[in-house]
Amino acid sequence: MNKLRTDLLIAAPGFLLLMVGFLIPVAGILLLGVRDANGVLTATHLSRFLTDPFYLEIAWRTVKLSLIITALCIVAGFPLAYIMARGSARLRLWLIISITLPLMTSVVVRTFGWMVLLGRGGLIPDTLNMLGLVRRNYSLMQTETAVVLGMTQVLFPFMVLSILGVVMRIDIRLEEASRVMGCTFLKSLRLVVLPLAIPGVIAGSLLVFTLSASYFITPSLLGGARLPVLAGSIYETATRTLDWPFAAAQSIILVVGVLMLLIPYARLSRRANG
Amino acid sequence: MVESAPTSVRIAAVIYLVAIVAFVLGPLAVVVGVSFTAGDYITFPPQGLSLRWYEAVLSSSVYMGAAITSLKLAVVVTISATIIGASVATVIHRGRLPGTSVLSALFLAPLVLPTIIFALGLLIFWSAYFGRTSFAALWIGHTVIAVPYVIRTTLAVLSTSDRYLEEAARTMGAGPWKAILHVVVPQAMPGIAAGAFFAFNISFDEAIVSLFLRSPEVITLPIQIYTQLEYSPDPSIAAASALMIGLTVVLIFVIDRVLGIQRVAG
Repeated sequence: MNKLRTDLLIAAPGFLLLMVGFLIPVAGILLLGVRDANGVLTATHLSRFLTDPFYLEIAWRTVKLSLIITALCIVAGFPLAYIMARGSARLRLWLIISITLPLMTSVVVRTFGWMVLLGRGGLIPDTLNMLGLVRRNYSLMQTETAVVLGMTQVLFPFMVLSILGVVMRIDIRLEEASRVMGCTFLKSLRLVVLPLAIPGVIAGSLLVFTLSASYFITPSLLGGARLPVLAGSIYETATRTLDWPFAAAQSIILVVGVLMLLIPYARLSRRANG
Repeated sequence: MVESAPTSVRIAAVIYLVAIVAFVLGPLAVVVGVSFTAGDYITFPPQGLSLRWYEAVLSSSVYMGAAITSLKLAVVVTISATIIGASVATVIHRGRLPGTSVLSALFLAPLVLPTIIFALGLLIFWSAYFGRTSFAALWIGHTVIAVPYVIRTTLAVLSTSDRYLEEAARTMGAGPWKAILHVVVPQAMPGIAAGAFFAFNISFDEAIVSLFLRSPEVITLPIQIYTQLEYSPDPSIAAASALMIGLTVVLIFVIDRVLGIQRVAG
């Protein structure tokens, strides 16, 4: 009993912080979104979102961009994770540092870098112009491409690290065996490594999708006001129009939407894990 | 033993690696490049070389005020998050409290729940009970976000440590607190230290909670940069950003020395 009391005492500041700083505010939001001014349950705020084409378009854009970003992260991330797992320890360390650096840099700083690269007179539009692909003074800012590029840069480390954790545990002798049996390198990658790495791909996708659906600083700076996403709309509603119940209702939709996509996916991953 | 990969695949792999590293680090390199421009506009490649924008940042009361706010905040967040995170990790590691797995899930929840929802919740909660947002509100918000990182790094070390050492200390007559202070904490130290540096980094760079809870008195450096980006961008943003990147690089190398970045990332 005494031991339990010691443990409780040690964890007490943590409990207090969790209650006051996290659970109560989050619960408050969930309640605020489904109650009217008198505290009676209502779906007014939710249905206002779900019946307005403007907001439905925002929701659709959020889902679409998040899916594209997740797919890009898988395609770009799997080879990197494989090279990191099979390369030397030194190469692995430097690659981890390279992908952690943007992850640990402030989102405003990273986004600023993209604004310089993609804006009018930036390196990328100028190169495209030199290649004769676009007109002069072309700008990639305020486009969905810009949002996808900026978000993929930050989110793909999450994908790489989750795949890396799984690939590191794959017995290299399995690959060798498949090669001895006559597989080409790429075939053994596709038939042996990829299927075994699926749990990592799923875990990474969950993380990347959730994060990309809830980012708003990068989309609002790179996409601008013409391309609002759900998280950006929550921020606008909360700070510009100060309509907190409606902002709360949009938050509920974000959480429920993410959960609805996550739960089947998590089931899938449990099955993949056996 | 078979040849690991054909030459064509190796060449493709090298090209791919260069492209990926350029994609990931390019935008940061561009920021650093722009910061050394001698011109008046944000251009890359920079026009001429000078340190004038660094001078501008270091002599600007707005930037320096924001930097001081950010530093103060990061220091208090580091202290509170490290103490709370390390204590919670110890308790989770021992697993004696009923429902430990639920507990650890709850404490790690801020990692999974979209930050924007938590930030909005804190804003509404704070306004309802304490009125205007303040430094203390940001302190709580950042601590909540940073604690899971400290828990994870501390647990990573504790899970490989010898749990009988504490019992040995108790048998030899040390009280419960003494055993924790002299046996458990020194054992977990690399994890706690790495967690502390993470906490500092997270608070110093955090923008979502800071944006929701901002008030004219509490503007952090990322928010100052954000505001400037929205309204009047000039190369001083690049200089301030480059200084933040420099700090991050230092922190990454420190974390790597203390715990090994691979253990933290994996």
